[in-house]
Amino acid sequence: MSTLLTHIAVSDGKIKRASLEVLSRMTQLAEANGHSSEAVIIDANASDHVDEVQKYGASKIYAIEDPIFKNHQNTPLLKALSKVLDEADPFVFGFGSTESTKDILGALAANTDAAVLSDVSEFELIDNGIKATRPVMAAKILSTNKATGDNILVSVRSGSYDLNESPTEAEVENVDFNFDKNELEATLREIIGASDDKIDLTEAETIVAAGRGAKDDEGQELVEDLASVLGAALGASRALTEAGIMDPSLQIGQTGKVVSPQLYIAVGISGAIQHVAGMANSKVIVAINKDPDAPIFDIADYGIVGDLYDVLPPFIEELKKIKG
Amino acid sequence: MKFYVCIKQVPDVDAPIQIKDGNLIQDTDRMVLNAYDASAVEEALVLTEEHGGEVEVVLVGPDKAKETIRKALAMGADKATHITTDDEVDYDSAVYAKILAAFFEDKEYDVISCGKQSQDTDAGLAGSMLAQHLDLPYATNAVGLSMEDDKLVVKRQGDSGQEIIGLPQPCLVTCSNDMNEPRIPSLKGIMQSKRKPMETINLSDMNLDETALSAKTKVTGYMEKPEREPGQKFEGEPDELAQKVAHLLDEEENVV
Repeated sequence: MSTLLTHIAVSDGKIKRASLEVLSRMTQLAEANGHSSEAVIIDANASDHVDEVQKYGASKIYAIEDPIFKNHQNTPLLKALSKVLDEADPFVFGFGSTESTKDILGALAANTDAAVLSDVSEFELIDNGIKATRPVMAAKILSTNKATGDNILVSVRSGSYDLNESPTEAEVENVDFNFDKNELEATLREIIGASDDKIDLTEAETIVAAGRGAKDDEGQELVEDLASVLGAALGASRALTEAGIMDPSLQIGQTGKVVSPQLYIAVGISGAIQHVAGMANSKVIVAINKDPDAPIFDIADYGIVGDLYDVLPPFIEELKKIKG
Repeated sequence: MKFYVCIKQVPDVDAPIQIKDGNLIQDTDRMVLNAYDASAVEEALVLTEEHGGEVEVVLVGPDKAKETIRKALAMGADKATHITTDDEVDYDSAVYAKILAAFFEDKEYDVISCGKQSQDTDAGLAGSMLAQHLDLPYATNAVGLSMEDDKLVVKRQGDSGQEIIGLPQPCLVTCSNDMNEPRIPSLKGIMQSKRKPMETINLSDMNLDETALSAKTKVTGYMEKPEREPGQKFEGEPDELAQKVAHLLDEEENVV
């Protein structure tokens, strides 16, 4: 019996859904193959999150609690992950592919000489490792990959697996961890946060994304109205974040966030492959664009050819009526 | 200030690709400087123009990758090192990081930078691996760099906002393409690039052991993405279309 270990990422006091998706998958693989599904929570208030993690089938939970983990910093996180990897000796160590994960995954692999596959969309166990699928070439195609070794690290794109509750009574181990702040060479000076009440794009059920076509004040206002009617998170194409019109944390695409909501409404977005790479896994895609040849229509379930200034006002009105 | 920028030659993701029997068929003439690395080169040039210093680019790759090194030199890098490999190698990020770590072992530098990922594979691993091998403080996904006394100040995009991080030198940073618009080489730059020093090191002369060069991960094949069902495209009166689609989302899809 081997250990399948999942890292539970906590950001702003909340567990990242991507981590629970990975834990759900790991628990399923553990049950099917006679392995043990375990989890590690590294946070300033790690023990607060134990109950929620138990719901997804972890039979053992390592908790590493230290004030240093209030904000993401790669040095202490790496030290904690290396320690737990050493102690749990997992066959597979899974991560939700968050920005924090991307910051440390390569370093952790180098540090522990583990094999690593990042940003996979599917993975399964094989005899001496894992088989995984990754989107490549700006997510135009998929590559199939194999990683072999005693410890395999894998990060999984958000939305790749459904949450699956299978509650257990987990054994909780508090891992001793000491971090001397003087060890920090890199110093985190400031976090310029997007405002607190915003919905996390990677976890949003509905996203309204604005592109070049909606760059003026009126367009922005219409997009915000639409998002507010639907209770949706706001997203943007690179054209708008680069122009400073929308916050960089809202960028969706190869460079920005990868999202997979139930409903994605692209407003004034042409659909360059770099943008599509970040949203093509949305369940229902609606595109509103005045250019009938815009590539976004190739992947949209519902395309409206028209000027967003003409289409959005009646669209918002009708949705208001439907939502009652 | 000595800047090393690690660059990579990658296939142009905008070029047409085909999959045949699980193999990727692409136009080998359309190879480019990785866009994220181009941003790293640009930022190194801007910082050394402002604060003085030298920019050297390092590339691990086959002979034909020389044209990509020339591009970086034409942009304004001062010199280059080309670590040459065979045409057909299946190195993963870990192997590249080990090769680069061996190269940097006896080098002096203030900052090593590279793109945050390769635009073909999007793995995003080699940078932090290299930092770990060299025991350097590092930051990834930088969207802005500045110098302050002896610190490199990095603005990076994190999960909940932008983090401002001070890194003591020497250090390593990986760059997003959101930080700048890489310059297009001028004719003068292109002419000058031909006279700039380029050292070539054969990988086999670097005395790396077999284990360092054997990849733990392999690409076993390629496949098409599952096709989306073709959708419906509506043209006509905006009011009618808006109402129709709103009702489809409610009644057919149940997503509003």
